[in-house]
Amino acid sequence: MLQIAFYFALLSLVSVGGIPSVMPEMQRLVVDVQGWMSAAEYTQLFAIAQAAPGPNVLVTALVGWKVAGIAGGLVALAAFCAPAAALAYSIGGFWDRMRDAPWRKVFQRALVPITVGFVVSGGYVLATPQGPAWQSALIAGASAAALYATKINPLWMLASGGVLGYFLF
Amino acid sequence: MEFAPPKSLLDLYLGFLSIGARSFGGVLPWAHRVMVEEKRWVAPADFAEVLALCQFLPGPNVGNVSVVLGRRWFGPLGAFVAFTGLMALPLVWVFGLALLYADYSSMPAVKAVVTGVGIAGGGLFIGTALKLARPLARKPWGVALAVACFGIIALGRVSLFAVLPAAALIGWLAARKDLV
Repeated sequence: MLQIAFYFALLSLVSVGGIPSVMPEMQRLVVDVQGWMSAAEYTQLFAIAQAAPGPNVLVTALVGWKVAGIAGGLVALAAFCAPAAALAYSIGGFWDRMRDAPWRKVFQRALVPITVGFVVSGGYVLATPQGPAWQSALIAGASAAALYATKINPLWMLASGGVLGYFLF
Repeated sequence: MEFAPPKSLLDLYLGFLSIGARSFGGVLPWAHRVMVEEKRWVAPADFAEVLALCQFLPGPNVGNVSVVLGRRWFGPLGAFVAFTGLMALPLVWVFGLALLYADYSSMPAVKAVVTGVGIAGGGLFIGTALKLARPLARKPWGVALAVACFGIIALGRVSLFAVLPAAALIGWLAARKDLV
């Protein structure tokens, strides 16, 4: 449990762009390095977090739960949120004062391509639990296109993914 | 009608509780609806400004919004109250679903449906990234950096802890030369 707390606290500080950015690294740790679960189980936990209301950061609670029960879940969530929250807490006022500073605009521009690369990686890792497959490409491609091109509530994409999953897997 | 901060910690807690309770399919739209439209705690432009900061900071975006605004209104206690209000009900939900799933996960049909949902969720990330990438449309160097990050992390399985500092440095230099 200490291992989870330590590692999730570290992940917290590199999660620029939020939870999607650290999905690949979290999966690498819990699946490849520690062997706490399979890639398929990881994607299923993520699915449960998506199907519940609330921020998708709740997936950290489920990963902790899988490894060390409910207490593990609470520890994982707290460890992931606390460092970032402390940073948000301390930087809030400073950021407002720097509104017109040139370096702030440079920094924001620099982060765009990095965040894009990280978030696509998060999507790819979650969408390929058993390695690349046409079924996964179909489901993920359809939901990505629907999100990009329409204003439908994303819950419909998740529901369609569930239906397609039932017939394809 | 004017915008005014929440009247009490209880008001703040209940507001964030209602955001968490209703936020199926994404928290952000509900955070906006409750704080800007229903409770009228913050003006739209103010909300956008806070959100921009929180998207750039590490950590859960709306979680950070709750911390920044809770602090602004009621200090450290406000930050804590807003954050726990946001998380309380979704946490109960997600553990309930997980326990339910643990009972049924041996059924292949259930597993197939849940896997499909997870893959569709991955697709939503890709769709989100495409939206984020719009400012890069005419910036080939930016696209190249994004593609490089993807190749190294998703396909190369290199640790984020190694990639982020290098990517941040390259991004910073490129942004200073107006390449991204």
